[in-house]
Amino acid sequence: MEILSFEETRKLLNKYKVPYCETEIFNFQDKALAFAKKIGFPVVLKIHSRTIFHKSEIGGVRANIKNEDEFIEAWNQINENTKGRNIEGILVQKMLIGKEIAMGMKRDNQFGPVMMFGLGGIFIEVLKDVSFRIAPVNKDEALRMIKEIKGYKILEGYRTGEDINIVKVAEIMVSLSKMSMKEGNIIGMDFNPVIVNEKYAKLADFRIII
Amino acid sequence: MLISLKLDKIFDPSSVAIIGASDEKGTVGFGLVKNLLSGAKKRKVFLVNPFDKEVFGEETYSSIKDIKEKVDLAIIAVPSKIVLQIVKECISKKVSGVIIVSAGFGELGEEGKKREDEIVSYLREAKIPLIGPNCLGIINPRVNFNASFAPISPLKGNIGFLSQSGALLNSLMDSMNEKNIGFSKLVSYGNEADLSLSDFLHYLGEDKDTKVICMYIEGIKNGRGFMDVASEVSKKKPIIVIKSGRSNAGQKAAATHTGSIAGDYEVYATAFKQSGVVLVDTLEELFDSAKSLLMQPKCSNGIGVVTNGGGAGVLTVDYCEAEGVKLVEIKDKDIDQVDKKGTLSVIPAKRNPLDLLGDALPDRYLAGVNAFLSQERVKGLIIIETTQIMTEPLENAKIIIEMKKKYPKKPIVCCFLGGELVSDAIKLLEKNNIPNYPDLKRAVKSIKKLIKDL
Repeated sequence: MEILSFEETRKLLNKYKVPYCETEIFNFQDKALAFAKKIGFPVVLKIHSRTIFHKSEIGGVRANIKNEDEFIEAWNQINENTKGRNIEGILVQKMLIGKEIAMGMKRDNQFGPVMMFGLGGIFIEVLKDVSFRIAPVNKDEALRMIKEIKGYKILEGYRTGEDINIVKVAEIMVSLSKMSMKEGNIIGMDFNPVIVNEKYAKLADFRIII
Repeated sequence: MLISLKLDKIFDPSSVAIIGASDEKGTVGFGLVKNLLSGAKKRKVFLVNPFDKEVFGEETYSSIKDIKEKVDLAIIAVPSKIVLQIVKECISKKVSGVIIVSAGFGELGEEGKKREDEIVSYLREAKIPLIGPNCLGIINPRVNFNASFAPISPLKGNIGFLSQSGALLNSLMDSMNEKNIGFSKLVSYGNEADLSLSDFLHYLGEDKDTKVICMYIEGIKNGRGFMDVASEVSKKKPIIVIKSGRSNAGQKAAATHTGSIAGDYEVYATAFKQSGVVLVDTLEELFDSAKSLLMQPKCSNGIGVVTNGGGAGVLTVDYCEAEGVKLVEIKDKDIDQVDKKGTLSVIPAKRNPLDLLGDALPDRYLAGVNAFLSQERVKGLIIIETTQIMTEPLENAKIIIEMKKKYPKKPIVCCFLGGELVSDAIKLLEKNNIPNYPDLKRAVKSIKKLIKDL
């Protein structure tokens, strides 16, 4: 059981047309910085490893990096924190603005792929406010999944008026369901967070387990 | 289709052989013989025991092969080590079906599983269906056929029950007999070495005596296959399930967050929901639901509540809200239009719930229930009765029965609260297929099961 490499993850996401934040993997600071400048600050830095399941707990993630100085400091800090560990590289990712949701899949021995939807970040672990469906999931079913959670009002923009595009979220769910049905070697997936705003929904963190 | 034909012969055989028939009280063989001999007289029962010449005063056979007549069903209750040999004899006897009651197979581990697989391969080659091993047996009360070692025989009725636990089945039959609830077929399906839960579910789906299917499940083999069958059957009749194993022990090692949140129980709950299977929490809710689904039609979400106690009405509103049961908004003029005689004019505010007031006599129940059921928007009704000095439970029950005849498509669920004072009224209601529950919450949860898409 290990985490799929970044390259293979990207190939799979492209194959099933799953949108994700613009991301590249680097081993050298200068190239990484050049990429960050190209996509524009703020950016996120985080390690990708086939074996590290909790990257933020070991100091492998830094978000909201606003300029070159912060970038260099964060890059060095992450390298320091993960010294001696088996990492594939550091991802440089465009930091997107929107609400955080979570999507996932667990392959069950009896029922096959079980798709999950919930509010992102720590909400999912503390509140367990999630909905499930046995794949395959079509678009209508995916929309029902989204509306089923108690926190849906928060997504709808309760008292904030910020709406999100749930159709885009549903489309990702359908694609992930297809991927789960076809790629039998995937035993689980976590995408937390997925960033969603009124225009789009994009995966920001990916962990595909094989 | 083929499987249904084969199962018909097992559930209503012309002749049965019990291998391991016994006189000795408290044994499995004793229970089987006792239950089978008390069944329909036209069914031939052959007792096989190589050691005792007589069992229950009847002559025994030392082997199934010694029986001259045809044997439809063989029930095997001998130690697991000699079951294979007995099965081979049953195959040469060309029986139509086999039930292996004996334990000591797959449930014990690898060695037992090997024994089980070997038996199944012989039976499959001979195309003889097998129930079990490691089960209580089956019962078809409709034809007085009890092929189990249960300590009791259930009543005839319309509930089909499939249970992964035999012990639970025993207690349920006892308690349902007391409540006058009957069954069409009961199956303790054991290890599912051959015939599986899905096969029985399919069979009960086709069975005209079965109106509601109840199941107790610990785990399912071939979940996807089960979902296919359940999705089909649930279109024809309600399936209600209680599933054990909610605690999430063993889930901690899951690789993904999704995995740790999606415990076994949640996955099962999802599969049930997607297949139209109603999952309940308690055994009480299982049979409460079966009762409302058996007795009343389904409706859409829009319920009325009629009561003679304000407090009971408010409690019911609370429960309805928690369960997602929608209460129809009713105004004075809605009622006044129908209540031409003005029987309800003493009521200061005619709302839903409609409080008929504590001094309500049967005429007020008649007017109130009629006024509510005549509203197009009221799709179903909960009728509450608290027992005041002037209340006439039996008369109220008769009125409800009449109203039910007038509005046959709208489900009615009653909650006559009380004990001795209301017991005759409740008996009358239920005799006329109007379910009564001794608690408001149970009444609400039971009408909820009748609401489509809830």
